[in-house]
Amino acid sequence: VSLKSLTKKNETYLLAIVIVFSIVITAINPVFMTWENMFDLLRSSSGTAVLAIGVFVVLLSGGIDVSCTAIAICGQYIAINVLIASGVDNIAFAFLISIAVGLALGAINAVFISIFNLPTLITTLGTSSLFHGLLLEFVGTKAVNVGNIPDSIKAFGKMNILTFSRPDGTEYGLSIFFLILVIIVILTWLLLKYTMIGRGIYAIGGNREAAKRTGYNIRKIQFFTYMYAGLLAGVMGVMHLSLIRYSNPNYIVGSELSIIAAVVLGGTRISGGTGTIAGTLIGVALITILEKNLVLIGLSSYWQQFFIGMIIVLGVTITYAQGNFNRRKKQSADRIKSGEVK
Amino acid sequence: VKINIKSSKNLTLFIIMMVVFIVLSIAIPSKFLTGINLQSMASQFPEFGLLALAMMMAMITGGIDLSVVSVSNFTGVIAALILSGSVDSSTPAGLAILFAVLAVVAVSVVCGLVNGLLIAIIGVPPILATLGTQGLFLGLAIVITQGHSVSGFPEAFMGLGSDNIFGIPVPFIIFLIVALIVSVLLNRTRQGFSMYMVGSNPTVAKFSGVNNTKVLINTYILTAVLAGLASLIMISRANSMRPGYGTAYLLQAILVAVLGGTDPDGGFGSVKGLVMGIIILQITQSGLNILAFSPFFKKFIWGFALLAIMVINFLLHKYNERKRVIEMNKLKTAAQTG
Repeated sequence: VSLKSLTKKNETYLLAIVIVFSIVITAINPVFMTWENMFDLLRSSSGTAVLAIGVFVVLLSGGIDVSCTAIAICGQYIAINVLIASGVDNIAFAFLISIAVGLALGAINAVFISIFNLPTLITTLGTSSLFHGLLLEFVGTKAVNVGNIPDSIKAFGKMNILTFSRPDGTEYGLSIFFLILVIIVILTWLLLKYTMIGRGIYAIGGNREAAKRTGYNIRKIQFFTYMYAGLLAGVMGVMHLSLIRYSNPNYIVGSELSIIAAVVLGGTRISGGTGTIAGTLIGVALITILEKNLVLIGLSSYWQQFFIGMIIVLGVTITYAQGNFNRRKKQSADRIKSGEVK
Repeated sequence: VKINIKSSKNLTLFIIMMVVFIVLSIAIPSKFLTGINLQSMASQFPEFGLLALAMMMAMITGGIDLSVVSVSNFTGVIAALILSGSVDSSTPAGLAILFAVLAVVAVSVVCGLVNGLLIAIIGVPPILATLGTQGLFLGLAIVITQGHSVSGFPEAFMGLGSDNIFGIPVPFIIFLIVALIVSVLLNRTRQGFSMYMVGSNPTVAKFSGVNNTKVLINTYILTAVLAGLASLIMISRANSMRPGYGTAYLLQAILVAVLGGTDPDGGFGSVKGLVMGIIILQITQSGLNILAFSPFFKKFIWGFALLAIMVINFLLHKYNERKRVIEMNKLKTAAQTG
């Protein structure tokens, strides 16, 4: 990897912004740069990152999914209700139910998008309202309190893969959520890089017509994409549940804006075909630091919405302005080469 | 046989509208078909009707404006602050209202200009640009008010949302006038014609001498001004403004635009269709309210309706295509044998 190729990458700039931002926050409040705070940030943002990877895959395919948060809460709330009703106290069972719900709802998205050829934004806006409305109308509206959450879920939320002890004897550590995220990142990377369907996702996002003529099965790829996003949303639902040990059917929904923002800031083109997992993860890091640490640097939480909006606007402005600039440079270079301009 | 798809779409809408109206009139005559209910329906829909008009204009150019509700929030907060401030400082109501309206127009023009510049000059896709400004404008509204609601407006301003003229609610009259202006703009002006051209094929539009950049910037300024107008009705009807008000209107505005025959891919859409779409939505909403359905069920219904309409449009389009192909083939064989 040469320095020149690094300076051309979106991820480099983004990482630089994250680092500068971290230094500023640390200067104002040294608590930020401690292992404990870092582990805590990783624990609380792993779920967001999982959801963002789902959105990332959808964006790669040239679509958009604003229903991922509705799917996540449907998976979570149905899973917790089934667990309580059946009396089965098992985290794997919770994941199984939530993932099944996610896959089913993702498949519904895919039916509209792939079979009826509907625009993805409007479809997922519609299904988001549909899924959440159904959940509240037919499953319930009451929040499940800590007391009613099964022990296995609470235990899972506290599970660490690395444990350290503080001077006073209490312990802190790296949450198992991080392990889940790492597994999903590796899985998604392998999928995109080494499988036919992964190449297909890039292909239909880059140029649908060309992908079709090359022989890719567009319908199959779209079904896979939206069901994969649904699956990840299901995983996130249970992660979120064991993180906060509380389930409110109105949570998660409404955060889709910041998740899409994270992915787009990570350099993924909304028109499809371009983007990396690394960029997505850095994007999530930026949004998380911004959301969780404005208070640390003394700004009230009212600024949060404004800053996220500002970051998206600035981020896309830079990305697209850069694209325009490069295109113009290339055009004039071509003209000089072909002898039009001397 | 030549079939005008556009007029057949409006005819379908008209039939749906009449069916919904008649069904509800027969099912719950004592509550639905009353003067009071009709009046309340006519004063309820203009605020999101204006947002739907804005959404339609953005869609005609092949874009979308996800920031309309946030623009309304932003301008609404500013108008609310001016109006409630005037009550405290006992400024004449007329002057305060004038200032509030001017401020709303000015701020919404700036908001629209930001969207327009991002989309037309920098080339950011409309979804992304307005997704960002959606957060930005709402964020500004929250920052200005610190998340609190602003209330207490001059008596005279309240009339805008609640008065009736000859039994017709004022918001309804405002909506009719604006709808008429938009209709004239789309059908009789250069800007309107260019919007349809840019929406159906930007490259062709460009080579036909349309200034795409200018047309798009104007479009997003217009959508923002409509959102600003909607905010005046909102705050007058609620007698307060809280950032985050009306977030459900975004889905409804898109729903009504698509229901009214606007093509989200650009190039098609009419005020006539949109108005019928709004009436259908409002009648259904009123019916669901009278029948005491929960807000969650309504949420489900709007999502379902949006998807159902798009699927029906898709199937109709496919059916028309197939019919056209069959007729073409018939003509071909007739020409060959004859």
